[in-house]
Amino acid sequence: MKTSRFPCRLFGITFFLLLLLGTPQKVPAGNEQTLYEGDSIYNHITIRQAGLNRCMIFGRHRDQRQTCMNIPRPDESVFEYTAMMFVGFQFLPDTRSVCLIGLGGGYIPTVFRMHLPQVRLQSVEVDPLVVRLAKDYFHFQLAAGHALSVTDGRQYLRRNPGKFDQIWIDAFNSDYIPAHMTTKEFLELCLSRLTQNGVVVQNVHNSNQLFDAQVTTFRSVFRHVYVFEGTNSSNSIIVATRAPLYPPPRLCGERCRSRIGPIDLIRESRKFDPNPRIRKEKILTDDYNPANLLLNRR
Amino acid sequence: MGLAYFAFALLLFTFGSVIMSLEILSSNLMSPYFGGSVYIWGSIISSFMVHFSIGYVLGGYLAKRAFKVSFFAVLLIVSSAWVLFIPLLHAPACNFIADRIVDVRAGSLAAMNILFFVPITIMATVSPYIIGILTHYHRDSSLTAGLVLFLSTFGSFVGTNLTAFFLIDWFPVSRIVTGLGWICLAASLLVLSFRLDRKLGRASRIRL
Repeated sequence: MKTSRFPCRLFGITFFLLLLLGTPQKVPAGNEQTLYEGDSIYNHITIRQAGLNRCMIFGRHRDQRQTCMNIPRPDESVFEYTAMMFVGFQFLPDTRSVCLIGLGGGYIPTVFRMHLPQVRLQSVEVDPLVVRLAKDYFHFQLAAGHALSVTDGRQYLRRNPGKFDQIWIDAFNSDYIPAHMTTKEFLELCLSRLTQNGVVVQNVHNSNQLFDAQVTTFRSVFRHVYVFEGTNSSNSIIVATRAPLYPPPRLCGERCRSRIGPIDLIRESRKFDPNPRIRKEKILTDDYNPANLLLNRR
Repeated sequence: MGLAYFAFALLLFTFGSVIMSLEILSSNLMSPYFGGSVYIWGSIISSFMVHFSIGYVLGGYLAKRAFKVSFFAVLLIVSSAWVLFIPLLHAPACNFIADRIVDVRAGSLAAMNILFFVPITIMATVSPYIIGILTHYHRDSSLTAGLVLFLSTFGSFVGTNLTAFFLIDWFPVSRIVTGLGWICLAASLLVLSFRLDRKLGRASRIRL
């Protein structure tokens, strides 16, 4: 009996260990290639290469790319919203410090490393596997003046009293968002961590009711809330500040730098929408927060 | 026994649904202070499991010693009152803990136990107490152990779905928690007003 049970046990133990470790796979599919597929404690993550673009995809919706990088030209913005976020530098051209919540493949830190070496960048990423994959597959590296904390974005801001010129929030998937980073209390925390003319820049999808609720919530905290609408995507950028140094539509423009690497700031700043159509929604708070339900309502 | 069955079914369904409703709401209560990670769910579920375990043992003990239903209803009133105070207790308790415990796992575990140990432990006594007390007084009860667990679990199903898909959308979390507290309090007071101890005793004598 003992000899016949042994292979079964061995198989069972091996199978269990494989489950524990996760099973990264390399699966070619058409002209796209899956370089990695596995699970972290937060996400199912796939890394795919299509032509020159390499993408990190969260969740199971493979058609919804989350973060991509052109490998030979890593400062080229594959997505519209990643370029749009740099419009923050048109509000505050002399920005010295930025806090980025949500690392993804590390495209934004790469642009900072290559073109904004004078800016201190604090990146915050909750998922340790995302950090590892960004290093392994997207050549993410910490430049001088850059720092990375592996923790929840809200917890980071809560525990660190330092102030930033800009806080960028890019922590949301298209099918799930960390609801505690949509609330009035969170934005008040961001406001308390901003310098005098500091701005919060947040990437949002504008095709659902959460967009309306988020703009409404931003307006309840910040005196000035501006919406920049993507022209070839359903992404919008919310920029919020208590005292803008250069308010739209007269942004800093050509008086300051008009480009950051390949990103044309003048073109991005023209996406400012002076009268965004915002449907009536309640302010999101820690107490009232159906963010993930609103995310699925058109 | 009809009134006793109704009372027990009411308690099983009400507390079964409220327990799961509170469990779902816990993530909204914890995430502003400890983040929205899987660790929070680990803390929530493990805390509730510990509370259930202690509650089951306590419920079995109360039934074995044939504690009166009126005494049991008073215990449920205590748990309901505690739930009513959670919205007041929540922010100061979580702030206090989050400022002192850096590790979100330990912090959320501590917060979960401070907020929920008393009410969930008491609520978890409902099923074993009712099974035990029916066995004690009325061995051929048509409210079988299986039916008791069905009513409680069905309540949990309703509480989970109603909260996750509707209540969170309609009301602030604090108001939902307060509402749950009032529902529990009303059910407990109603059962207390039934004076079931005499009726159960009489039924027991008839059977004997």
